[in-house]
Amino acid sequence: MDLRFTETQEILKKMARDFLTTECPKTLVRKLEQSEEGYSPDVWKKMAELGWMGLIMPEEYGGMGYTFQDLVVLLEEIGRNILPGPLIATITSTFPILEVGTDEQKKALLPKIAQGELILTTALLEGDGVFDASGIAIKAIPKGNDFIINGTKLFVEMAHVANHIICVTRTKDGTAPEKGITLFIVDSKTSGLSCEVIPTTAADKLCEVRFKDVSVPKKNMLGKIDEGWPIVEMMLRKGAIAKCAESLGAIETCVEMTVAYSKERVQYERPIGAFQALQHKMADMWTAMETSRYLIYEAAWMESEGLPCAKEASMAKAYVNEVYKDTAKWAVRLHGAIATSADHDIPLYYRRSKAADIAFGNTDFHREIVAQKIGLV
Amino acid sequence: MDLALTDEQKVRKQEFYDTCKELEKRKPPSFLGGETIYEDDECWEYNLYCAKEFAKKGWLALGWPPEYGGKGDMMDRVLFAEARGYYSIPGVDIFGVQMLAPTLLQAASDEIKREFLPPIARGEIMWCELWSEPNAGSDLASLSTTAVKKGDEYIINGQKTWNTGAHKGDWGFGVFKTDPAAKKHHNMTFILLDMKTPGITVRPIPYMDGHAPYCEVYFDDVHVPAKNIVGQEHEGWAVVNLLAGFERSGINEIMSYIRALEELVEFCNKTKRHGQPLAKDPLIRNRLAELACELEAARALAYRVADLQNRNEMSLMDAAAGKIFFSEVGERFAFLATDILGPYGQVKTSRWAPLNGLWERLFHEHFITTVSMGTNEIQRNIIAWYGLGLPRIR
Repeated sequence: MDLRFTETQEILKKMARDFLTTECPKTLVRKLEQSEEGYSPDVWKKMAELGWMGLIMPEEYGGMGYTFQDLVVLLEEIGRNILPGPLIATITSTFPILEVGTDEQKKALLPKIAQGELILTTALLEGDGVFDASGIAIKAIPKGNDFIINGTKLFVEMAHVANHIICVTRTKDGTAPEKGITLFIVDSKTSGLSCEVIPTTAADKLCEVRFKDVSVPKKNMLGKIDEGWPIVEMMLRKGAIAKCAESLGAIETCVEMTVAYSKERVQYERPIGAFQALQHKMADMWTAMETSRYLIYEAAWMESEGLPCAKEASMAKAYVNEVYKDTAKWAVRLHGAIATSADHDIPLYYRRSKAADIAFGNTDFHREIVAQKIGLV
Repeated sequence: MDLALTDEQKVRKQEFYDTCKELEKRKPPSFLGGETIYEDDECWEYNLYCAKEFAKKGWLALGWPPEYGGKGDMMDRVLFAEARGYYSIPGVDIFGVQMLAPTLLQAASDEIKREFLPPIARGEIMWCELWSEPNAGSDLASLSTTAVKKGDEYIINGQKTWNTGAHKGDWGFGVFKTDPAAKKHHNMTFILLDMKTPGITVRPIPYMDGHAPYCEVYFDDVHVPAKNIVGQEHEGWAVVNLLAGFERSGINEIMSYIRALEELVEFCNKTKRHGQPLAKDPLIRNRLAELACELEAARALAYRVADLQNRNEMSLMDAAAGKIFFSEVGERFAFLATDILGPYGQVKTSRWAPLNGLWERLFHEHFITTVSMGTNEIQRNIIAWYGLGLPRIR
């Protein structure tokens, strides 16, 4: 047992921190929030050169062959700095391709993703806004060599710039909602597909994606027909850990900025950080950060080792969701009025804490998984 | 990052678990883990029996240097603590084995080590702590019980309080004022003393639930050999800080909660309310799941603490964070469990009490972990001042 980062991980961490500090200042973050695309194609290209999109893809597909744990190290740095764009959407969309994709699908997509030429995203949620299979109503109906998709997906991250959308559809109305789910890789230029950005708290370009008689070739089916739900569960599990890592980095920044500010800001002739009311709150923020950290690392290690970790991943997500929101909230509160202004960096994190909470399953969704895994009937 | 155990560690872990599982069968009905070793004679005898069993295997000296009978490494200590925690097995003296022994190894003279370590390893001598005083609690360094040197003895006068297990301890360790003229923090000496020395009076203090896990101890011209000190004379504060760092890694408490959660889940599956199992109640599911997440976070943090201890890299800040989190998870668990049990959550061990009355007991006794060994508020100061570098204004 050794909970320290490996040398490779330390190098990756330092490289990511240096890169993001230079390439993604908060001025750019704000600009991207206001922009239509929501990401910088220039930075995206440089990220591809660093191998980030293909970080955990096998080398045979142009990836770096790193582990899931290494990805967590990278995402922690991304969360510290904030990097708007489709990185997590793209990486999590490669998971099902890697796991159940055909050779043809892998060869066609993975190298281009690794090179930064393709952006991917996954369309899961619909009008109900729930993460379980009961929320999947959008139909895919076979017709000749194609499937015809009709319906609307919501909160699809960066779909407006994605080249391909993995769409989770219902292909059979069965007894249990988990039966009859099928995934398709849909080219976003297919006729009948349209997209609109939804205005959200984090300005993170979640989209409504409308499918009107969208025709998808059978060969674009991802995995087996009607047996797609376990693939979605796998994506939610890995995505949850990945999102937690990003949140952890953000929590670190919230704690560090608050501690630093409380040492500088003078009121009543002393730095406000000298007041115990603030000291104890910051001690709690730090403790919550550390407890989150090792819960996430544990889940990431298990995922890397191929150990079953649905319980640990859900525990991490349910826990870190709340820690991130709470830490960001207290970061605003302890800064005072200054951090309620749009010009301050703390609100960038505070607003993202809500987005992070929802992505890949909110707290109650993951707590229900935990409830089942600890043996409640 | 690697959380895997080696093959040898897996084997030893299994041995620790098997042994503790066996010992569990001998548990007296009144033993509920933790401080209930002081509950009655049966519980204390059980504690001593387990200590002897562990001593036979050399497990009270895990991680010690071989010249003092040591065996295994720090990781073995962690795995052993995990097994003991899961089955709530006593026998490892918190004060002697867990706190004093590592302190002696680092700070005591060879003579003191040779005299006091072997009886600890043999499970023969049980220890208690003599720290707090009526006017020196969180501000321990303002203590006033004096130890005046006369020839080759110290003569101790004054009073200590909140001394867990002082009525059962054979020996005690504590800090006493030896140089009243010196500055605070440089005026006290860490002294080891036989609790049977004439002049010592031990009075159990009733806890709020009527049990008596702790005592007050009066010293009236108590003569102690001057050689029985740890560290430099008048520099006992440094030893106090060293010892505070050797507190439990937390893993044993966390494992006992994990076991308690398993039993509570089973209770919720079997017990019906409104015509359906408690487990089907969405609110109970949500709250138990929330607690389970916190417990897992605590377990992961306990491994982190153990990992730091293994490498001797444990900081005051890490120790404080662990202490706060582990104890407050316990507090939340006690509140939650007694909530779920409804009216039965207030029933003391009896035929009406679910889960042997454990939760009614913990509703009171969780304070033992949040308040003792530096209140959690003091721990927050430690994180703020020594960890985060926040200004300290007196």
